Order: sequence, then C-alpha cells, then structure tokens
Amino acid sequence: MEKEMLEHGFSWNRRRFLSAMSLGVGSVALGSLLMPDLFKNGGVTDENFVPGVPHFAPRAKRVIYLFQNGAPSQQELFDYKPKLREMTGEEIPSSVRGNQRLTGMTAYQASFPLVGSFVDFKQYGQSQAWISDLMPYTAKIVDELCIIKSMYTEAINHDPALTFLQTGAQVGNRPSMGAWLSYGLGNENKNLPNFTVLLSRGIGNGQGVYSKLWSNGFLDSVHQGVQFSKGEDPVLYLRDPEGMSRKDRREMLDKLAELNDLSYKEMGDPEIAAKVQQYEMAYRMQTAVPDVMDLSREPDDIVKLYGPDCLVPGTYAANCLLARKLSENGVRFVQLYHQGWDQHGNLPFEIQKQAKDVDQASAALVMDLKQRGLLDETLVIWGGEFGRTSYTQGRLTKDNYGRDHHPRCFTVWMAGGGIKPGIVYGETDEFGYNIASNPVHVHDFQATVLQQLGLDHEKLIYKHLGRRYRLTDVSGTVVKDIIA
Amino acid sequence: MNRKLTVFASQLLAALVIFIAFLLIFENKLVVPLWLQPAGRMHPLLLHFPIVLLLVAVVLDLFRFSRSTANNAFYHSLQFYLFLSAALLCGVTVIMGLLLSREEGYEGEMLQWHKWTGALLFFIAAALFFIRNKAWYKRPFVISSGIVVVIVLILTGHYGATLTHGDNFVWQPLEAYKKTKQVPFDEAVVFADVIRPVLERKCTGCHNPDKLKGELLLTDSAGIMKGGKSGELFVSGSIETSLLLERIHMPLEEEKHMPPKGKIQLTDFEIELLTAWIGSQKTYFSEKVADLPETDTLRQLIAALLTTEADEERFDFPAASEKDIASLNTDYRTILSVAKGSPALSVNIYNREVYSSRQLEELNKIRRNIVALNVNKLPVTDDQLKTIRQFENLRDLNLNFTDISATGLQSLTALSHLRNLSLSGTKVGYAELEKLLPQFGSLQTLSVWSTLLTVKEMEDLQQKNQQLKIITGFVDDGADLLKLNPPQVRNKTLVFEETISPGLFHPVKGVEIRYTTDGSEPDSLNAELFEEGTVVNSNTFIKARAYKEGWISSDVVSFDFMKNTIRPDSAVLLNKLNHVHLAEGANTFFDTKLGAIGANNPAWANYFAGVRGVDMELVCFFNNPVTVQSYGIHYMVEETTGIYPPGVVEVWGGESQDKLKLIATLSPPLPEKGQLPFLKLSETSFKPTRVSCLKIIAKPYQLKERRFLLLIDEMFLN
Repeated sequence: MEKEMLEHGFSWNRRRFLSAMSLGVGSVALGSLLMPDLFKNGGVTDENFVPGVPHFAPRAKRVIYLFQNGAPSQQELFDYKPKLREMTGEEIPSSVRGNQRLTGMTAYQASFPLVGSFVDFKQYGQSQAWISDLMPYTAKIVDELCIIKSMYTEAINHDPALTFLQTGAQVGNRPSMGAWLSYGLGNENKNLPNFTVLLSRGIGNGQGVYSKLWSNGFLDSVHQGVQFSKGEDPVLYLRDPEGMSRKDRREMLDKLAELNDLSYKEMGDPEIAAKVQQYEMAYRMQTAVPDVMDLSREPDDIVKLYGPDCLVPGTYAANCLLARKLSENGVRFVQLYHQGWDQHGNLPFEIQKQAKDVDQASAALVMDLKQRGLLDETLVIWGGEFGRTSYTQGRLTKDNYGRDHHPRCFTVWMAGGGIKPGIVYGETDEFGYNIASNPVHVHDFQATVLQQLGLDHEKLIYKHLGRRYRLTDVSGTVVKDIIA
Repeated sequence: MNRKLTVFASQLLAALVIFIAFLLIFENKLVVPLWLQPAGRMHPLLLHFPIVLLLVAVVLDLFRFSRSTANNAFYHSLQFYLFLSAALLCGVTVIMGLLLSREEGYEGEMLQWHKWTGALLFFIAAALFFIRNKAWYKRPFVISSGIVVVIVLILTGHYGATLTHGDNFVWQPLEAYKKTKQVPFDEAVVFADVIRPVLERKCTGCHNPDKLKGELLLTDSAGIMKGGKSGELFVSGSIETSLLLERIHMPLEEEKHMPPKGKIQLTDFEIELLTAWIGSQKTYFSEKVADLPETDTLRQLIAALLTTEADEERFDFPAASEKDIASLNTDYRTILSVAKGSPALSVNIYNREVYSSRQLEELNKIRRNIVALNVNKLPVTDDQLKTIRQFENLRDLNLNFTDISATGLQSLTALSHLRNLSLSGTKVGYAELEKLLPQFGSLQTLSVWSTLLTVKEMEDLQQKNQQLKIITGFVDDGADLLKLNPPQVRNKTLVFEETISPGLFHPVKGVEIRYTTDGSEPDSLNAELFEEGTVVNSNTFIKARAYKEGWISSDVVSFDFMKNTIRPDSAVLLNKLNHVHLAEGANTFFDTKLGAIGANNPAWANYFAGVRGVDMELVCFFNNPVTVQSYGIHYMVEETTGIYPPGVVEVWGGESQDKLKLIATLSPPLPEKGQLPFLKLSETSFKPTRVSCLKIIAKPYQLKERRFLLLIDEMFLN
C-alpha cells in the first residue's frame, strides 16, 4: 500500500504538473528580483563602487583645466598649414568640406575661400613641434607638452560644445567633469571645495559661461563647482556678517547641526546631511580661502614667471597663479575659463591679444608645478570647445579675416599627470579641415583624463532615475598612445 | 513522513530546475543585494551535504535489484528521500554558488567549469529523482548514471577546490617551490624572456618536439631559424617576405592562418612584438634587451611591455585597519587609499596654524602603509623627519617650503623606497646635499628650486648624480625683460563731490608711478612721481605710467577724476531709449557709474544710455533751487562702428518745466575717421543761474540721412 501511495505521488497528472510549473514561474519571478537589468542589453555595472577610492593607482591626483572659451583658432596657434597660405583666396575643395554642416553664420555664405595664418610658425624643442609666434612662452615648454591636434567634437555651437566637453552630453543636466572627479576621488583637503572655478575675460569676441558648466548634475551637491571670483569676497557669502565672532559662528553651526540632524532623522533626505557638511566646510574655508587667495606674498620670481598681470585679480594670469595655489592645496579639479576666443571676424587683431593674455601664464603654470615636483601628479589641460574653419568667414581682405566654428578638428595640449611629454599626437590634413590620423573624440579625451586619475570611465557610474550614467556616456576609448 | 510535504518537496525540486535554468541564462545580469551575500558565502559550507548524500544515494541504488532489498519498503523509502534531499540540497547549493560567483574575485575559466559542472550535476540529480521509478529504468541505467554522477561530482569538486585553494593544492608541498617573477627590464633576454613566452602561449602547443605540426619546431632558436615544411619563416630585417607574418596576417577563415581558427589568437601587441623582432637587422636571441640600441622598435616595445606590467605597483605589506584610518582622518589630515583594494595610503596634512608634530607621530599606527606624504608649507622641522623616517614604504615625499634643513635629511636616507622628494623652498645647501644624495639609493626625482643652491650648484649635483633627475625650476636671470602692466586705481568711482584723493597703485612691489595732469605723456624724467595722499578738488585728468628697474615701463593709462557737486532730486526722460542701451533709464546720468570700452565689459553693457533715432531729452528737478554754472557730458566714441559724440547739446533752465530758458549749448568735436574708441568729457560753463528745473537735450550726430548712435553714461553739474 505504501508503495502504491508513493507511486501515486509520482504519476503526474495535469493538476500536479501545473502546480509544479506555477511554483517554477514563481521562482522565476523571485529570481527576476535579483536582476534589475533583465531587459537591458549588455552594459557594465559596478555596484561595488566606493566613492572616493580610485579603481586603480592613479598617475595624476589633480587636474587644472585651462579652458579657452570661444574656441581658439588652431591654424594660428598650433596646427601649422603652409598649404593654406599658398591657397589663400582659393575656394576650399568640396571633397575636403564634404557634407559638414555649417553654422547659421556661414551657411548662406556664397563662397568659402581658404585663408592661411597671418602669423609664422617655427619648430621648437626636442619634439620639434610647430608653434606659432603668438605663443613664445608656450614654445619654450613644448618638451613638457603633449599636443593633440586631432581632437574632434559633435557640436557646432558654443553652448552645446562646451557642455559636451564638460559634461559628456550636449544638454546641460549632467555632472561636470570636475564633479565626477570629486565624486570618484573624494577630497584631499577638506577645507577647500574639491572643484573650483575661476573666470577671466580677454578683449576678443566673447561667449558666455554659465554655472551649469560646473554643475553637480544628479550627483550630490557637495560635488558642485564653487566659483572663486575676484575682489574682496572670492567666495560669496563666506565672510561672517559684521559683529559676529568666530565663536558665535561655531555655536550657531553646532546648534544648527543639531536641528538638521533631527530633521535628517525624520525625513532621511541625504541633502540635509550634505548641507551640514557644506556649512562645516564653509566654516573651515573661512580661514583656508583668504590664505590661498592672498597673492601678496608671492616672491618676485613668481611674478616674473607668470607676468605682472598675475597680481591683478580677475586676469587669466592671476587665475593661473591661483590655480596653482589651489591645486597645491589639494583641490582636485580647478577649472579656468578664459573668454574671448570667438574670432568670427577681426581674427588677426583679436587673437594676438588673446594669445598674449594666456601664453605666458599657461606656460608658467606648467613650469611652476614642475619646480615644486607637482607636475607628475597634476594634469594640466589647455584647449577650447572646437576648432575654427580653414576658410574665412565674412570678407577676406589683405590683412583681415575671420574663421567660423569647426567641429572636425581642433588642438588641445596636456602636460604632466602621467601623459607623455614632448609629443605631438594626431595629424590633420593639409587643409587643416579633416583629421588625417589618430582621431580623438571628446569622449576618448574624457576617458583618458579619468584613466590618469585612476578611474575606469566605464565603471565610474551613477544611477539616476533608473538609468546608469557615465561621463563618457556609452562610448569613449582611452588614448593609450599618449600615456607615459 | 507527511505526504503533502513530500509532494511539495518534489514540486519544489521541479521549481528549482526552472529557477536555476533561469538564473543561468540571465546570469550576467544578476545583481546580488548586500543582504543576500551571506547566503552566497554559505556555499562552501553547504556543498558537502549534497556530495555525501548523492554518493550514498547512487551507491545504494546499485542494490535496488538485489533480492534482499527488492521488497524492502524501508530501503525504497530511504532511497526516495535520499535522492530527493540530495537533489534539493544540490539545487540550493547551486543557487548559493551562483550568488557567490557574482562577488568580486571569482572569475576565469575555472569558475566557468565549476559552475557548469555543478549545474549539470544538479540537473542530473533532479532528473534521476524523477525518472528512477520508471519501468524502463533498469540495471544498466542505474550503473551508468551512477558512474556519470560520480565523475561529474569529482570534476565539480575538483574545479571548486581549485577555485578556493588554488591550482595544484594537493601536490604543491611535494613540488619544489617555483618562483615566477616578472623579469626586470635590465635583465630581460630577448628570446628567453619575451619572444619564447609569446610562442609558448600561442604556438608551441602544436609546434613542439612531440607534435611537430608542419614539420615546424618553435621551441628553440635552431628550429625557428630552420623553418618548416613550407620553408623558412623569415629573413632578418625583411618583414614583407616573412612566411611567419604572412600566416599570422591571413584572414581567419583561411586554412593556413595561424594560429588556426578556434585556437587563441595572437594579440595586436604580440604581433607587433614578433614583427619588430623579425624586422631587426639581426635576429636577437640571447642578447639582453637593454643592450639593444635605444632607437630599436623591439627595445621600445619590450620596455613598454615590461614597464606597464610593473606599473601597477604591488605592495606586499598588509592593509591597515579601517578603524585606524578612520580615526586618523581629520579635517586637516586626509588619509586616502591609493586605489581600490590596495593597502597603500597617501597622507596630506594642511593648515599651518593647527599643525603640530603630533599630526605626524599619530601616523605611527599606519606607518607601513604610507606611500605618499605631503606636508607642503607646514612648519616641519628636522626633528620631525625622524618620525617620517619610520614610514618605511614611503615613495613620494613633499617637503616644499617646510622648515627642514639638509642635516635633517640624513634620517630620510633610511627610506629605501623613496622615489620622489620635493625640497623646493627649503633651506637645503649644496655641501650637505652633495654628501647625502648618493645615500638615497632609490631616489628618482629631486626638486631643489628656490633653495640655497645656485644654478651652478644644481648643475653640479646633476652631473654627480646621473641616476637622479634634479628639477631646478625658474630662476630670474634678468634676460627676459617683461613689460609692466599699467598702474591701477583704487577709487570705486572717479566721480567726486568736493575733493578726492586719487588712489593710484601698482600690484608689483617697488614700482614707481609717474603722472601728468596736463595731457602730456608722462616720462621717467619730467613727470611727477605719484605719492599717496595727493588731494584734488577740480576735474583732473591724470595720465600715468609705471616704472621699475629691470622691467620695461608700462603703457600710459588715463584716469579722469570728474567733479559733480549738484545732483537732481529726480529726473525723467521724455523719449524712449534705444532698447539695448537702457542702462538705469533717467537715473543713469548721476549715479557715478562710468562706462567702459569693450563689448565684453559689463560696464559697457550696463552703464551707457543710448539713443539713435530721437533726441535724448532729460528733465531734472530740484526740490530746492540750485545755482548752476557749468554742465558736462561724458560719452563714448567708437568711430568705426558709428558711435559718435552728440551733434549738439542744449541746456535749458528755469523755475519749473514750463518756464525754461536756453542757458547754454555745446557742440563737442567730431572724431577723426578710423580713430580708436575713447571716452570723453565735454563741458561748458555759463553765467551762474538759479534753477529748480533743468532740461538737457542731447541730439545724436546726424550726417545727411544717417543718424549716429549716442551713448552717455554720466553728466556733471557744478
């Protein structure tokens, strides 16, 4: 009987089959809970990422990004094209121009005459890199630089291109590169913001910069860039109001922290904790910032190195000097913007002034970091958001012309931070219009920067609204050839 | 046993089969939440149960057809439960294993084998449970399935054990301990250390003395030089004719492509290496890589190979406790992990005011883990270097602008890993450094900018310490003559009421400012030297220039200090302003905010009120009558873009708006064609007149039909 009972238990009828299957389906449903991306294709996730700890040993600890806002013309600075001079006035061959979309400013231009650089180039250093006469100080340090002539981007107007370079997307809702690094690497110095921004302006045609460019996007707001301005209050609202002593401030903050803690326990909103952190940092910044911003104690040879403008607050030279001081004090990402590089017209006149603004101080910054033994661990980047056309915009006269936006190629340089010094990477064709070898997309550039800081761009991920975000979005390859 | 429970258990087993199949299919999307990870880690504990149960079950199953057990109810019942529990436990173990495999540190071929054999074992066990009572399940089946189970079980167990204990765990003690070490670049031999390993990885599986496919032997130099059935592999220096490279570069589908399809292919780098090796004029075998010429491609490739692998430095010291690190991390001392999973730490200390030697001493707990220390600009003394000396694994040390001296450096020579030392801005001198530097065995870079060393001494040190890179830095030798920037002014506005003290200054120390007030160009001989405290009480147009020894004098800069004693109590504009030059409307003209030239300057965009098509008619009201005797208007001129001075300005005054008389008119001079942009004040004086209302009509300059733009930022009433 027992055996029959047992065997009965095995003779599966439909009901038992279905009930077993329902258990099976239930188990699948259970399992699917463990697979948040069941219906997603491919992709890498890194759930174990600990903010503030690099993926691997970094080559660089800090970045100083000398952003040349408005897009400096590569043809007048780094990308020597004798052919353009020969062909000045001739129409650009349509085979070269291809189907490149144009900006609204030149789209209706009847002809596109090529124009050679008004300024001469020479070769310098052991690398024999070509540098124009507009950059005599940069020319002296070419053996420290990795000049990338083959950068290209997807955007053709300033705002999207700038946003693309800074945040990896053309629309402005993502965290900026500095915010990503702050998130990925954490603070070296807890008394200064991890990501600072310095603005300056040349006399050339300018384009706006907006705080969205140093936004934390969806990252915690402690990673937002903090703008240091010129004048008495470099960081707004940092100073205690009149009549408030430092002791009073301390007591006030302690009390406030208690209250915030209460509401954090009640609401659980992480922004409350972030706010408390920011108050505390602001308190410590009250002593750290004046010390960093004080340029009066810089010795004479530093003034000579950067040029006398470095003592005039708000100038590019002063910002370079400040960048060195901030970086030396452990600020992970110092972002400079120098406006005025948008030479649609009157290029020969304006670019001379612009180059003069930045040449000496940029070179000085590299040398100054070097002489402090900091260049190895600091990555310095110089460049704009796109390039400029090899044909003229507007009327071409004997000594005047302009150049329009050009996304297909532009030049940036990097120095220090484990990047190969004294090399020129990538080439453009003889018209300086298309890339001839080793193209570097903006995402490749970003991936390389992250790589130098010990972060794998495919693993530096933040999940927001159900989607995982990266600085390099879904592309980007590290440019291994330029890594020392 | 409860029958319901038994049925449920067997159904559960069916469910497990589906569940595990599902997990296996979508395995790479599996994300294990933290709370489930302990379950995964129970895998090594639980797995022993199904092993034993399964073994017992399949062994006992061999007896099911023997007479003594055929009708033994207990035996059948026992077997039933044995198979059921073994299969169930097997399933649970597989799930746990899958969870565990998603954790870090489990990857590679071994894991794949273990996973799939384990899963297979479970499926077999489940299948056995379901089919073993079928009528056709006879003796041969029982024996063969038993053997299969045992084999799969052994394989699974073996792979799993290899995963946890490492390869060859059992026999390891019997074998001599073989040390495989990365060959340092200086010692590497071309064939033995670079080329042969490539061939061993990808080629000698077939081209070895035992197999000798294609009559080719790739294990030694003689065989390589001899070639195979199809001929010689290559002639040194000739890449194009090389048979070896031809085979490598053939399309994968070609039969003759090597390594054959299905085998692991050569990487791009390996191909590059072989190409460079063949491309050398002489085929290197026993030569040392370091003896190859610097420019040799092969040498450079090998250098890249051997250094990138050594690049990620492995530290052999144990990690510090997280608690210690957390407690030592303060607002002014940051301790950061160099990289994920690395025991190495970097320490930065900040803030001169709160620094004390304790900040270093407290680090003693983690002293072995510190590989980088930055105490830049802190008052660190020679004595404290003795604490730093304890940080035995230190690689990078930044002592810039500290209070140390060269004598203190003696203690640092004990740091046998120290690579980069920054001493910029310290008081180290030549004599001590010369003596000490040879004692720093591993030092690679040393920065000595802004120390007591002269340029000559730095060069000398570099000469004597070739293994070291000495960073010298910028020294002002006076060769690069720089131009000073122009003097600046401290005053918030140049418009004043009664008197003003012009606050001229220059940011560079020791600069002389010379100035004139008569419109002439200031020079270093005749122009007056500016001194603080000078006071002026009337319109003063200063032209100034900065001078300093060793610098080129600055450009001339002008500061126009302008007096305005009378301000209207209210004002109104009768015509509309140009919509991009609204400024502050009628309040623009007496707010002391002066415009500036240059479209990028906010003072250009915000402080000029402008008109083009209409006259600018401003009516000013005074609560109490005032006596006016002069009127001034300040405007911008940019000839090239058509921004011109007013054609004519009329000043009307009286008791009220309907009783106005013309008091004065003013016609400023016109700019020359192509003149550079400038700002200008034009004034007119008249008989003192008592007024309560003033009306100013400024008419844009007009030439035939063309009306020019008029931009005004301030007006002056005295």
